Amino acid sequence: MTFAMLRRGIVYVLLSLAAFVSVFPFYWMVVGATNTSAEIIKGKTSLGSALITNATAFFTQVDALRIFWNSGVIAVVATALTLLVSSLAGYGFEMFRSRLREKLFGFLLLLLSIPFAAMMVPLFVMFSQAKLVNTFTAVILPTIASIFIIFYFRQATKAFPRELRDAAKIDGLKEWQIFLYVYLPVMRSTYAAATIIVFMANWNNYLWPLVVLQTAENKTITLILSGLTAAYTPDYGLILFGTVLATLPTLIIFFLLQRRFVEGMLGAVK
Amino acid sequence: MTGWAFIAPALILLGLFMIYPIVWSLWMSFQVGKGMNLSFGGFANILRLTKDAVFIRALGNTFTFFIFQVPIMIVLALLFAVALNDATLKFRGFFRTAIFLPCATSLIAYSTVFKSMFAIDGVVNQTLMELHLITAPISWLGDPFWAKVLIIMAITWRWTGYNMIFYLAAMQNIDRSIYEAARIDGVPAWARFRYLTIPMLKPVILFTTVISTIGTLQLFDEVYNFSAGSGGPSDSTLTLSLYIYNLTFKFMPSFGYSATVSWVIVVLVGILSFLQFLVARDRRTS
Amino acid sequence: MSSLKLTDVHKSYGKLEVIKGVDLEIQSKEFVVFVGPSGCGKSTLLRMIAGLEHITSGDLEIGGVRMNDVDPSKRGIAMVFQSYALYPHMTVRENMGFALRFAGVAKDQIAKQVNEAARILALEPLLDRLPKELSGGQRQRVAIGRAIVRNPQVFLFDEPLSNLDAELRVHMRIEIARLHKELQTTIIYVTHDQVEAMTLADTIVVLRDGIIEQVGKPLDLYDNPANLFVAGFIGSPKMNFMAGVVTASGHGGVTVELTNQGKAHVVLPLSGPAPAVGAAVTVGVRPEHFGLAGSGGPEITVAIDVAEHLGSTSYIYANTKSGEQIIIEREESRHELGHESITVAIDPAKTFLFSAAGERLR
Ligand SMILES: Nc1ncnc2c1ncn2[C@@H]1O[C@H](COP(=O)(O)OP(=O)(O)O)[C@@H](O)[C@H]1O
Ligand SMILES: [Mg+2]
Repeated sequence: MTFAMLRRGIVYVLLSLAAFVSVFPFYWMVVGATNTSAEIIKGKTSLGSALITNATAFFTQVDALRIFWNSGVIAVVATALTLLVSSLAGYGFEMFRSRLREKLFGFLLLLLSIPFAAMMVPLFVMFSQAKLVNTFTAVILPTIASIFIIFYFRQATKAFPRELRDAAKIDGLKEWQIFLYVYLPVMRSTYAAATIIVFMANWNNYLWPLVVLQTAENKTITLILSGLTAAYTPDYGLILFGTVLATLPTLIIFFLLQRRFVEGMLGAVK
Repeated sequence: MTGWAFIAPALILLGLFMIYPIVWSLWMSFQVGKGMNLSFGGFANILRLTKDAVFIRALGNTFTFFIFQVPIMIVLALLFAVALNDATLKFRGFFRTAIFLPCATSLIAYSTVFKSMFAIDGVVNQTLMELHLITAPISWLGDPFWAKVLIIMAITWRWTGYNMIFYLAAMQNIDRSIYEAARIDGVPAWARFRYLTIPMLKPVILFTTVISTIGTLQLFDEVYNFSAGSGGPSDSTLTLSLYIYNLTFKFMPSFGYSATVSWVIVVLVGILSFLQFLVARDRRTS
Repeated sequence: MSSLKLTDVHKSYGKLEVIKGVDLEIQSKEFVVFVGPSGCGKSTLLRMIAGLEHITSGDLEIGGVRMNDVDPSKRGIAMVFQSYALYPHMTVRENMGFALRFAGVAKDQIAKQVNEAARILALEPLLDRLPKELSGGQRQRVAIGRAIVRNPQVFLFDEPLSNLDAELRVHMRIEIARLHKELQTTIIYVTHDQVEAMTLADTIVVLRDGIIEQVGKPLDLYDNPANLFVAGFIGSPKMNFMAGVVTASGHGGVTVELTNQGKAHVVLPLSGPAPAVGAAVTVGVRPEHFGLAGSGGPEITVAIDVAEHLGSTSYIYANTKSGEQIIIEREESRHELGHESITVAIDPAKTFLFSAAGERLR
């Protein structure tokens, strides 16, 4: 009895420690936004009075509206297209099996191991030839068909009851209608989980936008903040203020969809 | 026919923006020259690899990150998942959300936060000194060894919760009665973990390991931001991806050679994934 | 009038042939049950009729029209699935009206048809619930309701009761029988449970390995099985089979000596050609057809293994001297309590004879 309680106690202590370590940087970020850069690098952990200064500095140095608009447009459009294209493919691969398509799918999984760095130069050359460098199109297009998300949807589709599709066929639905009116609503948890993953990936996407977005007014918040951090003496107060703003969208999405997220992962791991 | 219609959009996009560039880069890796003046060089680039001290440095660093970061993260994620899968645990939802929260941050946010926390007089050093764990502040960003440690800690912080969710999801699919039967049979907790949980989670563990391996071998964003793009101090956090980026966009561009370096990553991922599959299969037969 | 006709229908998955040539004609308003062991191709056959599986070769006609390549929704069929296959995100009402919505039926007409079906199945109080808020039996009724709303020529049921518990199964079985009476439509019903087949069917189709073994009315199949397989499949408990050898053969009958049964001879009348002397045969006796010792006919003595006394009837599980397990059904058998063995009589008039190949000899 006491041994079990001791063990239970240790579990709580360790989990609390892990939770603290996980959450502290968020606290730090928020507190940092109210402190001066000097205070931050001296490790001040209490709320300060520099919030207004930091905010003013941030909004004068960064065309925030524009930059967040850029990030938002890219992330929303890319996420919507990725979900559409990848879930169609996942559905297609799982529902219509053929030997050729199975081989193709295996081949795609192999491609997952190829780093983006290997495609970067040809992609860049392609987009410069198409005169699309420094456009959102160039940022979004290569991210739409994601093998990882196709795989994820295919796995999740395995749990989609086949008899539901049969019933819908007898009810007179065409295949695209089955996808739209039955598959999509039934799989909404899967879509929620994918939304979180894909939105975060796009919002945080770094290397490719860094390569392809060149003028300041087209950059994303991620790129801008990264630029500020790279300064010789970075103004951490200003940067952490921006960081809080940049983290908000992903946090909001996460908390809105969190319940469905676990459900959705559940389906995919089956 | 309908089947092809559903996958066609994805296939066209992948063909255009993935397969075509990959083939191109494979072709490029046999080209030598600067900028756009390329000519066929056979195996010249591969030879150059063996003599390129910076490349070997980057390879070593990447490998170090992989060897330490992936196992630490997978083990932590598994332990958290097991602890949180216990239905009698209080505040499960809170712990789960807290530990998952780091993946909701943007990459740049956490790089900046970590950089400021790990400043020489920063909050981490202060705390460690107050706890008398260290006597002098650690130069997290300036010392080659600690810079690596910092990167490993940062990635682990960011991705452990993500992997944990996969395991938690998989565990919820395991029939509870299996554990109940084992408890009635007197199987102790550690053995239930070792002989029931682990084997049943093996496909997910394998999956997350392969995904993490790929992620770590392609490591770029973190090292770029921690070192302001340099891979410093003194190349100690230079990874293969960062080196490729530098070869392509920083120095006089050397497209052919940078393509060759990127294929090194492909080969590494291939070998490591294969080994991981092999290990997973061996355990099954024994 | 013929409602549905299958002509030399085959189905293959790659090299694997699953349905090996089925000919069948189903009359209008008939309740037809496909029965057979698991994996014999019942579902495949039903799904081909529904249009969910392509027909590899052969013809399917419904209402006199060839339907091989017609879309499932245009065949005039409705289907009830084993897992119910209700759309989880729609209420009962939406589930039932879904097909009509896609057929372009007007809203008030949909509402009317849904309400009518709900009335027949007493689903009115459930119309605004989601499937997950219903019990298994209720879900099943909704699935049937969804089929009724479409007003089909032919209802298809694929093992609709196998996800229900025993009591509910009996209840729903009766409900389906009542429904057939009320709706007066053709029903094709798939099950592996011969009790369901016997109780529901006008006509039973016994399938094995993708081939029809016998088609007939339930009691015809019971009284007159065409072969060993049907004899063993129809009837509960199963028919008993004992090995024997023909010792005399002539016009109008044979004499069979049961193997290892102390020279027990059964003399059986035959109208068809008789097997030759020395041929190995199988003698089949239903559990309920064994007579008391002394009631006439040859007698065998068997060792009692287990006896189940249910009150009105008893089942005696016993072993013959050659090791065949047989079941004897007795009414009023309390006097056999505690006995080690029992002697029963075989009534030749109620005994079946099968050739070594499993064909019925009559
Ligand atoms: N899609 C398929 N591919 C290959 N074989 C199948 C497929 N569907 C069914 N079968 C095989 O066809 C046979 C008949 O299956 P089914 O009609 O489902 O049997 P039943 O419903 O009588 O239990 C089985 O042996 C099954 O394994
Ligand atoms: Mg079946």
